[in-house]
Amino acid sequence: MNRILIDLKASFKIFFRSKAAVFWTLAFPCILILLFGAIFSEMETEYSLYVQNQDVVDGEPTLASRNFIEALNQTAAFNLHTLDPTINATGYALDEKLSYMLVIPEGFENDVSMANATIKFIYDQSQTSAMVVMGILNSVINEMNLGIASYPNPPQHFVVLQPETITPKRFSFMDFFLPGMIAMSAMTTSIFSAVEISSRYRETGIFRKLATTPLRRIEWILSRTIYLIVVSFIGMGVILGLGILFFDVKVIPDPLSIILVTTTSMLFSGIGMILSRFVKDPETAGAAANAITFPMMFLSGSFFPLEQMPEFLRNIATVLPLTYVNNGLRDTMIMGEPQRAIINTIIVAVLGVICLLVGAWITKWEEE
Amino acid sequence: MLLNRNPVAIEVDSLVKKYGDLTAVDSISFAINKGEIFSFLGPNGAGKTTTVEVLECLRKPTSGSAYVLGFDILKDQNEIKKRIGVLPQEFNTFDSLTVRENLQYFAGMFGSSVDVDGLIKLVDLEDKRKEQYKKLSGGLKQRLGVAMALVNDPEIVFLDEPTSGLDPKARHEVWNVIRGLKKQGKTVFLTTHYMEEAEELSDTVTIIHKGKIVATGTPEELITRYGQRNLLILRNTDRAAVPLIETLGIDANFDTETGDVNVTLDHSSDVSEIVKALTIKQMAFGELQLKRSSLEDVFLNLTGETLREAETP
Repeated sequence: MNRILIDLKASFKIFFRSKAAVFWTLAFPCILILLFGAIFSEMETEYSLYVQNQDVVDGEPTLASRNFIEALNQTAAFNLHTLDPTINATGYALDEKLSYMLVIPEGFENDVSMANATIKFIYDQSQTSAMVVMGILNSVINEMNLGIASYPNPPQHFVVLQPETITPKRFSFMDFFLPGMIAMSAMTTSIFSAVEISSRYRETGIFRKLATTPLRRIEWILSRTIYLIVVSFIGMGVILGLGILFFDVKVIPDPLSIILVTTTSMLFSGIGMILSRFVKDPETAGAAANAITFPMMFLSGSFFPLEQMPEFLRNIATVLPLTYVNNGLRDTMIMGEPQRAIINTIIVAVLGVICLLVGAWITKWEEE
Repeated sequence: MLLNRNPVAIEVDSLVKKYGDLTAVDSISFAINKGEIFSFLGPNGAGKTTTVEVLECLRKPTSGSAYVLGFDILKDQNEIKKRIGVLPQEFNTFDSLTVRENLQYFAGMFGSSVDVDGLIKLVDLEDKRKEQYKKLSGGLKQRLGVAMALVNDPEIVFLDEPTSGLDPKARHEVWNVIRGLKKQGKTVFLTTHYMEEAEELSDTVTIIHKGKIVATGTPEELITRYGQRNLLILRNTDRAAVPLIETLGIDANFDTETGDVNVTLDHSSDVSEIVKALTIKQMAFGELQLKRSSLEDVFLNLTGETLREAETP
C-alpha cells in the first residue's frame, strides 16, 4: 500500500512538472469548449420570434396590432413567424421548446385607446436570449407609447409588456457538449498516458529497474489506474468549472456520472496497456492510440448529436464504447434521468473491468 | 538454503538460457566470494547481461541452478531482491524527478530508511541533489544509478556496463565510486566490455564469449597464463640492431612498415642487457617503449578475436 502511495506521489509530481501533459490534459479541452462555445452558442444575430395576434376583427387583424407588428419588423432584429390565433400559445411554446413568444390579446386596439393595453411575452428565464428580446420589445413599446402620447397629453403607458415565464425542458449546445468533452477528456487522458508510460518505461529501461525492487507489477498497475482516474476527474472538474463559469451550465456530478468517468478511465487505460503491449515503440503506440480515439471522438456523439448523422454512421456509433459514455453522462448529468443512464453505465463498467484486467494481465516489465 | 556464514556470495551451476533457437548462456558455472569485485568481461552479446538478469531474478533460466547469498533464484526471489542492488544496463529513471526524489522513490520501494543524503554524498552529487534527472550529464546519471542501487543497503551490487558510453573522465569518477563500494565490504558484480575497466577494478575476472566462460582468474593470473610476453619497441633504430640483439639470445624483428625494432621480452632484466649492447656499439635509438601484455591480448589469444572484432555481428 505504501509503495502505491509513493508511486502515486511521484506520478503527480511528474505530471505537474510536464507542461505538455498539463496542457493536453487540462487546457486543451478548455480551449475546445471555448471555441465550440463561441461558434455554436452565439450564432443568433436575428431572433426568431413567434407572434400570435388574437386581436382580429372579422378575420382581419386590427390596425393597432398591425402597426405594432410592423414596428417590430422595422427593428430588423426579428425573423417573425405568425401563429394561428386558435392555438394555445403557452402549450405551443413548451412543445416546440421556444425560448420566447409574443401574444397580442383580443381587444388590444380597444385597450390602447383606453391606455390600458398589454402584450403578453411568454419566455424561458433560463435563456439569455429571451432577456435580450425582452429588452428590444420594451424599447419598441416605449417608442409606441411616446408616439401615441405626442398628443398634448402627458406621456402615458398605453401599452405594457406583460411577461409570463415558462420552463420548457430544453438543452443548450453547451449542455450537450460538456458531457461529451468530459468523456473525451477521460478517454484521451487515460489511453495516451497508459500508452506513453508503458512504452516509454519499457524502452528506457525504467521497468527493468522497477523489476529489481519489491514493487509488484499489480501494485504498479493499481497505482497507475488510480492516477489516471484522478487525472480524469481533474479534467472533469476543470471542464465543469468552465461550463458553469462561462456558459451557465447547471450540472452537478451525481454518483452515476462519477462511476461512468471512473470506468471510462479504466476502460481506456486498459486499451492503452493492450496497445503498448503489441505496438512496441512509443511513437507508433501513440499513433495507434490516435487512430482509435480520433474517429471515436467524432462518431460517438461527443461533438454533434448522433441524430444529426447519417444512418450508417449511427450504426458504427453503436459499437463504439465512447457512445455509451456520452449517452450515459448526458442522461444522468444533464437530463436528470439517471435510470436511463444505468444501462449505459453497466456497459461501460463491464467493458472497463474487462479491458483493465486484460491490460494488466498482458503488461510485462521484461521482454523475453 | 546455505548458511549465511558461507563466504560464497553467488554460486552458479550449469546455467543455460535460451531465447528460441539462440543459446545466450551456454552451461556456465562460477562462484563469487563475498567482498570481491567480480567482473564479467566480454563483447556485447556474449551473454553477460542475460546471466546478470537471471541472477537478479528478472529472467528465468532454461536450465541449471544459481544461488545468491544462499537463496535459490527460482524460489526465493523476494529474499534475493531485498538483498541486492542493481544498476541495469543503459540505466534510466524518472526524468522530471530530482536526484533526491529519485533516491527517495526507490528507497520507498524497499521500505528502506536509508540516509538518502549520505548516498548523495557517497557518489559526490551534493551540488546536484535538486537537479532533475534529465538535466544531468551521462557520468552524473550513472553515479546516481549507482546510488540508487544502494538504497536498500544491499550485500551484492550488480553493475551492468556502468561506464558504457562515458568519456574517460566520467569513467574514472564512476570507478572511484565502485572502489568505494568494495571498501564498504560490498560484493560487486560488474559486467563490462572494457578490458581496461576489468583490469583496473577486479579481484576476479571471468571472460565470457558466445555464452561460454573461456577463462577466469585475477587479472594478473590471466595475463600471465594467457597473455603474450611483454614487448619492447625501439623506435628509429638501425635494422642492424636486430642481429645484435639476437646474439644476446633474445628474439627481435624489424617492422618494415613502421621502421621499429620489436623485441619480445622473457625477463624484464633483458631491457638493460639490450640498452647496454646498443650503447657499446654506439647504435642510436630514438625512443624505447615497453608494452605490457593486457587482458585485450588474453581475449585475443583465447578467442582468436579482439574484443572489438567480437562485437561486430
